[in-house]
Amino acid sequence: MSTQHAITAEKLNVSFGDSHVVKDLSFAVSPGESYGIVGESGSGKSTVLRVLAGLNRDWSGEVDILGKRQPKIRDKAFYRAVQMVFQDPYGSLHPKKTVDDTLAEPLAIHGIRDAEAKITRAMADVGLPSSFRFRFPHQLSGGQRQRVAIARALVLEPTILLLDEPTSALDVSIQAEVLNLLQALRQERKLTYILVSHDLAVVGHMCERLLVMQFGRGVEEMSAETLAARTPQTDYARQLLIASEGFRRAG
Amino acid sequence: MTATSDAPLLTLDELRVDFHTPTGIVNAVRGLSFTLGRERLGIVGESGSGKSMTGRAILDLIPHPGVVTAKRMEFRGKDLAAMDKGSRRKLRGRHISMVMQDPKFSLNPVQTVGDQIAEAYRVHHKASARQAKERSLAMLEAVQIREPQRVYDLYPHEVSGGMGQRVMIAMMLIAEPEILIADEPTSALDVTVQLQILKILDDLVTSRGMGLIFISHDLHLVKSFCDRVIVMYGGKAMETLPAQELDRAQHPYTRGLLGCLPDLDHPREKLATLTRDPAWLA
Repeated sequence: MSTQHAITAEKLNVSFGDSHVVKDLSFAVSPGESYGIVGESGSGKSTVLRVLAGLNRDWSGEVDILGKRQPKIRDKAFYRAVQMVFQDPYGSLHPKKTVDDTLAEPLAIHGIRDAEAKITRAMADVGLPSSFRFRFPHQLSGGQRQRVAIARALVLEPTILLLDEPTSALDVSIQAEVLNLLQALRQERKLTYILVSHDLAVVGHMCERLLVMQFGRGVEEMSAETLAARTPQTDYARQLLIASEGFRRAG
Repeated sequence: MTATSDAPLLTLDELRVDFHTPTGIVNAVRGLSFTLGRERLGIVGESGSGKSMTGRAILDLIPHPGVVTAKRMEFRGKDLAAMDKGSRRKLRGRHISMVMQDPKFSLNPVQTVGDQIAEAYRVHHKASARQAKERSLAMLEAVQIREPQRVYDLYPHEVSGGMGQRVMIAMMLIAEPEILIADEPTSALDVTVQLQILKILDDLVTSRGMGLIFISHDLHLVKSFCDRVIVMYGGKAMETLPAQELDRAQHPYTRGLLGCLPDLDHPREKLATLTRDPAWLA
């Protein structure tokens, strides 16, 4: 099991005090796959991602990533292989650090030499001109900031990227650019993605398979084809699909 | 409400909103003209397109150093530009009101939601506290809150996002305005809740014969909800068209925006990106 999959979660449970936010969740993601998690707010989708990323330590169950059973506290090598991109580039970048600082820090933490070349390359990979290197976040647009956040994740050359609503704070035209970038990077580097989103069209575009969550449970796992054909098995998934089609005036 | 005449509720001609900053003048809205009847008019655009500023300019809510000018700006034949601040304030809430995006930041956190609705009523109508409470409870029922008595005494932090937005709508509609401006009223909500809110808004607007200006960044939503759509970019209207025909839009900006959206029915390897033409703003 653990040798075939990049990520597996078995009977994952997460509680915050009295509220049980993830309940007996199990799923597996193959290497190189792009896997979507969708659901409404409070469904637990972001919490799952935070557990996988090692940001949340109050969970029970089994998590295997890259063939290793993961403890609550991850080691340094883990963070080199698994990186996360957060929703809001206005909140996730340090306002008093330049792009250069942001990209240099992970390299320093991991003791990676040749930072100069790595930073130049990471910026080129996400399509940021090198003239932006010493700018502060407030001197960048939303799309450029999210590129910096992606470059920060990529600079360590991870194999898994965890994406938490990476485009929902962006305008649609910028969203298209960022999604294209993520697609191209995945092909080039054979990355494995888990993409959390509330936007079914984005997930349908980016992922091969997806999981619909509600109240902390996995309601239904389906392929992108099933999503496009709008033929889910469960009532909730069907309801979510209809709701995302837009407003319908009762005749 | 009488819906006798077809005369427009609101007429805007060459509306401009300029911000005089130390580094120069920023043109937020550059010469926008439209009329609003008893209809659902959508204004769509990306961030910075001036759509919210348009809504605020109508209500005289542009903060300093913003300056609003227009060749003509009329509410039911009355010239808004010629009115003093006091008259504009009387209009606001009573005749033209606005639902904001996020109930978390728009409700007063230290007053019960019921009292806030009642206050909105008493500001505009002569009524006793008791009458105002009765009206508020009726209004809470109209926005489909199941236990109005219980919800009346709750504070904003005790209600969900969807319920908070219903409270906002109740508060804005209790004075029975002729025009409602809804600025991204459902963007902070989940899709299923979003549809419930839109349904309530739709029913109330239709049954009371109001004019609705629906400001949104969501093209699909506007297409399915509105009668007419203005597409804005850089403070200007790129085009105005019936919502049903949004898919057949002619303007390259509208076409570009539609092309950027991932579509379940037409999967593509790569999404189209938007090339902006400086000539659009000329």
